Amino acid sequence: MEQQVEQTDLLKQDQSRKKKKTVRAVLSFVVMSVLLVLLFFAAVNIGSLKVSFPALLKGLFVEYNGDVATIYDLRFPRIFISMLAGAAIAVSGVLFQAVLKNPLADPGIIGISSGASFVAVIITAVAPGLFFFTPIFAFLGGVLAFFLVYSLSWKGGLSPLRIILVGVAVNAMFTGLSSAANSMNGGNMEGVAAIVNGNITMKTWDDVYTLLPYVAVGLLLAVAFSGMCNLLLLEDKTARSLGINVNTMRILISLVAVLLASISTAVAGAISFLGLIVPHMGRILVGSDHKALVPFSMLLGAFTFLLADTLGRTIASPYEVSASILMSVIGGPCFIILLRRSKKYAN
Amino acid sequence: MPINDDKPAMEVRNLSFAYDKNKVLREVSLEIEAGKITTIMGANGCGKSTLFSLMTKNLDARKGQIFLRGKNIRNLNLKEFAQKVSIVQQYNSSSDDITVSRLVSFGRTPYRKTMHGKSEEDERMVEWAMEVTGILDYRDREVSRLSGGQRQRVWIAMALAQNTKILFLDEPTTYLDIRYQIEILELVRKLNREYGITIIMVLHDINQAIHFSDRVIGLADGTVIVEGSPEEVISTESIRKMYGIELGVTQIDGQKFVLMV
Repeated sequence: MEQQVEQTDLLKQDQSRKKKKTVRAVLSFVVMSVLLVLLFFAAVNIGSLKVSFPALLKGLFVEYNGDVATIYDLRFPRIFISMLAGAAIAVSGVLFQAVLKNPLADPGIIGISSGASFVAVIITAVAPGLFFFTPIFAFLGGVLAFFLVYSLSWKGGLSPLRIILVGVAVNAMFTGLSSAANSMNGGNMEGVAAIVNGNITMKTWDDVYTLLPYVAVGLLLAVAFSGMCNLLLLEDKTARSLGINVNTMRILISLVAVLLASISTAVAGAISFLGLIVPHMGRILVGSDHKALVPFSMLLGAFTFLLADTLGRTIASPYEVSASILMSVIGGPCFIILLRRSKKYAN
Repeated sequence: MPINDDKPAMEVRNLSFAYDKNKVLREVSLEIEAGKITTIMGANGCGKSTLFSLMTKNLDARKGQIFLRGKNIRNLNLKEFAQKVSIVQQYNSSSDDITVSRLVSFGRTPYRKTMHGKSEEDERMVEWAMEVTGILDYRDREVSRLSGGQRQRVWIAMALAQNTKILFLDEPTTYLDIRYQIEILELVRKLNREYGITIIMVLHDINQAIHFSDRVIGLADGTVIVEGSPEEVISTESIRKMYGIELGVTQIDGQKFVLMV
């Protein structure tokens, strides 16, 4: 009888823990959405031109206003690009971490972004006429980099540490090749520099329209695959015994992750650490169930990268620090902290 | 060949397997009787793990055939196979914060259709699996907070949720204390006796294999050395053939025991 009481007590404890977690997850979604909207309006209004919120709405929807038109042409594109690229890179990180069973995988660190930017750079340099297809070439570059990392670190299994080491090498190689290509052309190719340095200063609505469809498709696919990502967290043999063709799923999900990372790289440049830090914070706030983690990482990724871009153009005004440089400065130390805290990779 | 319930639960015919030039299995043939507990035993490197992998479609049988109720398992895709055969692997891991009931519900994966939610059948099977394995009380607890024995029950429950008539277990007691080892083996016996599930498992402990099996299959050097009920086939001689060591065999209350020291 006493044991019975104890059991129900434990059951209640578990249920209240579970409930707390659900509440925290829901709150995180609400707070993050509100913060993103606030940041959006702050970003619109930060800079040399300032308009009040009513004036902005009026200028956008009712009647012409010179200041609002300038903001619309100059600031809006980079704000949307920051949010789209941020969401894409963060989700790409989530997917890579699931596929490689490695919480430290990041499209920047393992060389996917630099592979994408290298091929984009080469195409822009060799065949400027194909500029319109840059995203597709960037995707092929990303696939090439991923193939290299995956095949070179496969030794009868995937060791998390080996993936990072091989990734660092692949990353260094492609970054070097891009810089070399840039230097050989006198180092004054603006498009190339933008891709290499992650400069999103001079972006236009055209860039938004280039990015939007690919990112939308990639994010939708990521949501569709989120249940599968949960199953990939099991041992491969166990997932297979549930009827999952593990290798096929790995390849499909990897392609979505590469698509998201390469597309953002083609437009916003190589961004490191975002795909690492955002999913990590996401796991703390909403848990590791991908059905919550993927959508939450979109919000948090959009927020983080827009914050980096907005800070970048204010901290040293009138000069600008690019968002991807800020990400590296903040992300590097975060990566080291995660590496040291993580039990699995500490030794 | 369609699935035929009159045929043996599983049948292996002339199965050979090699990693590169290293022959692991040589012309193995055996039958698994439906409704029985069959244990595959043998020394390290005798080929039992390879046989297990081949019979559970983790490896492809290139030479020889494996039949499930008369149907070659090569002609079943992974999803179809997972609706007929469930497997508890030796080593398992999951994310830290997943709850017991959520993990058990993964066992319904082979029945999921894209864009469909949980069916009533799904929920019923998950409840049943947790009840049978005695983990209903922990249903909302994170798997990482369970003891080793409780965790093994969760993995067995996940396999049960697949609602199959055949259950494979690869050394289900390896990482457990003796008390939990016996508990798990009692559970396995209950699954067989009360629910008629055909059990095929690999066990390291010879006495546990004798005590909990209806039939044992002993392998050595990639071939089947003994096949039959433990009472018939376990002897000092067959132990020497399988493990290369001389051990006494005694009888207590009509039950055979191998003296392990």
